[in-house]
Amino acid sequence: MNLADGVQIVSFGVLALMMLGAALGVVLLENIVYSAFLLGGVFISIAGLYILLNAGFVAAAQVLIYVGAVNVLILFGIMLVNKRQNFVPLRNAWVGKITTAAVCLGLFALLGTMVLATPWAISTAPVAGDTSTVVIGMHFFSDFLLPFELASVLLLMALIGAIVLARREFLPDALEREETQQPVLTLPERPRELASAAPGSPDRTLGTSPTQRNV
Amino acid sequence: MDFANLVAQLNAGTILPEGIIIATLLLVLVGDLIVGRTSSRWTPYVAIAGLLAAVVALYFQWNNPNSISFLGGFNSDSLSVIFRVIIALSAALTILMSVRYVEQSGTSLAEFLVILLTATLGGMFMAGADELVMTYVSFETLGISSYLLTGYMKRDPRSNEAALKYLLIGASSSAIFLYGISLLYGLSGGETRLTAITANILANNVDQSIGLLIALVFVIAGIAFKIAAVPFHQWTPDVYEGSPTPVVAFLSVGSKSAGFALAIRLLVSAFPAVSEQWHFVLAALAILSMLLGNVVALAQTSMKRLLAYSSIGQAGFVMIGLVLGTEAGYASMIFYLLIYLFMNLGGFACIILFTLRTGTDEISEYSGLYQKDPLLTLCLSVCLLSLGGIPPLAGFFGKLYLFWAGWQAGAYWLVLLGLITSVISIYYYIRVVKMMVVKEPEEMSEAVKNYPAVNWNLPGMRPLQVGVVFALVTTSLAGILSNPLFTLANNAVLLTPMLQPTITTIQPAPNPATPGYADLESETKEAIEG
Repeated sequence: MNLADGVQIVSFGVLALMMLGAALGVVLLENIVYSAFLLGGVFISIAGLYILLNAGFVAAAQVLIYVGAVNVLILFGIMLVNKRQNFVPLRNAWVGKITTAAVCLGLFALLGTMVLATPWAISTAPVAGDTSTVVIGMHFFSDFLLPFELASVLLLMALIGAIVLARREFLPDALEREETQQPVLTLPERPRELASAAPGSPDRTLGTSPTQRNV
Repeated sequence: MDFANLVAQLNAGTILPEGIIIATLLLVLVGDLIVGRTSSRWTPYVAIAGLLAAVVALYFQWNNPNSISFLGGFNSDSLSVIFRVIIALSAALTILMSVRYVEQSGTSLAEFLVILLTATLGGMFMAGADELVMTYVSFETLGISSYLLTGYMKRDPRSNEAALKYLLIGASSSAIFLYGISLLYGLSGGETRLTAITANILANNVDQSIGLLIALVFVIAGIAFKIAAVPFHQWTPDVYEGSPTPVVAFLSVGSKSAGFALAIRLLVSAFPAVSEQWHFVLAALAILSMLLGNVVALAQTSMKRLLAYSSIGQAGFVMIGLVLGTEAGYASMIFYLLIYLFMNLGGFACIILFTLRTGTDEISEYSGLYQKDPLLTLCLSVCLLSLGGIPPLAGFFGKLYLFWAGWQAGAYWLVLLGLITSVISIYYYIRVVKMMVVKEPEEMSEAVKNYPAVNWNLPGMRPLQVGVVFALVTTSLAGILSNPLFTLANNAVLLTPMLQPTITTIQPAPNPATPGYADLESETKEAIEG
């Protein structure tokens, strides 16, 4: 074993330990802010593994997207939800925890067996290494052209959807909307509790005179 | 490889229908940006025109000899054409019934249309995707737009709840699906084209490995979520209840058809090595769906939830055709989906109309509706009876063909179970019809007593009327005059090479790369070396 191999093995061990420890922390810690930061740690360790596998571009993308965007978004989400609430400890919560642990361990055993038992066809092609961006670019403009373009439509739609969900709604005046009686931006069906309390109450039906609504 | 050569190999003409839809989508989006809120007068019609133009373009794709495009990424064979027609038509009918609904809720129509068109696009690409990456991206396009549509009534807690549930369950199921296809990628030695995966799996001697079975189970879990088959159906009732009703209509027809198209293509072309296993798993899912969907529907009090469970049961019926694995089986499945498109969307159009007039969707509120609105009663009765499979209507012939194909293929137990559960389903459909028709005037519900005068001149009501009448006519006539649809479904299967028994026997072709792909690889190598 020469020096390079030794360095690789050691760094693999360090990265794997980091990743497993951080992942356990994400699941087991009570404080959600710690979990979110540890999740960032998991992503960074995975990026390290990618570098060990000679996939520098994927590692960079992993750091940019998962740590820089997804994880920061999660942290924002946590910080914007400013709710202090003490949860009542569930009775018999340990049953759920043990079941979860059993299911996870079972799944891990199954997948682990599968990975070890399957004779994987390992590609003999040389590793692209630093030229991987060239290869990825070639694929994007040839055989993966269609998914690449469809992803742009997907992103456009996600952008529009995010705006629709987040924008402050323009609520039209009651005068303009004389013919409708339902509160804006809700389903026309009454909730079931209301429906049974006041069946067919005329103030929400079409065609009757406009009444005061909660605009 | 120069540019012109590449363009010729891409064969991009096969996605002309999708191109038309993208153009329509941009037109609606930019038009709405320029004109403002008054654009809602014309945007729905532009969208419908675009979808119909896409259907016309699909007509010219029928039996296209050169169907594989984008270097194996997309396959525009007859099977995908017929599914894309179903999805585009379901979107067009959904737009007809959503104009008034969206207007009345005060939300903006153009964005709704844009998201709905993107969902349609995702579904249509999913129906033809012949490659794992394409499959996944289109799966997500359909999924994410559906989550957005579900939460479109954003001030309504029910809509929020529905969107959140759908998003969480959908994200986990798509993660499982992704894991499954990544296993396929690994087992086939780094191959993403569905047609080449099987050959590679056989060449690598992993066709009996546990890895392939796990990949199969995970892929089926992802697909079963889309078609709401039973162990993966938990999201359905809540999402159907909380979503805007036109969105439910689209989810129950368009999204489901896309799921079935994906199921046929993925399972038939990538998993022939474990063919018995996937037939067994799908048969189990079909049985569970038929039983649970139809039995639980008996207890529902809300019309939307009733149709949610009924759509689970209907998915079970359609899966019979998928399980058989014969040509008649696939043809009967397509035929049933074609009919289901009209009758289910007709049912939803009627529910939307009733909701807009009375503000409720409780089944008990429908009592005595016949006295006030005969047209609505007639259409809803026809659609529901057709869903139940009452003889002269379209649904009867659809079920007859499905069960006949099942009997021919020797799936006696499945057919018997289908018969029993469809009798159960007739009970709850008839309950609604009976409620509407035979009640005495004094038993009329409050909602019907206060029923407003029928006025079709309100903005957005005309398209809804057109949708209702169209569904009524097609559902009543498509049964008696079903021959064209029948021929269409049969030809779609006959003209699809993938579904022909001679082709589905596996040829051990070692990595049959398309010429363009080989070119590309050498080019890439040069680029790397140079």
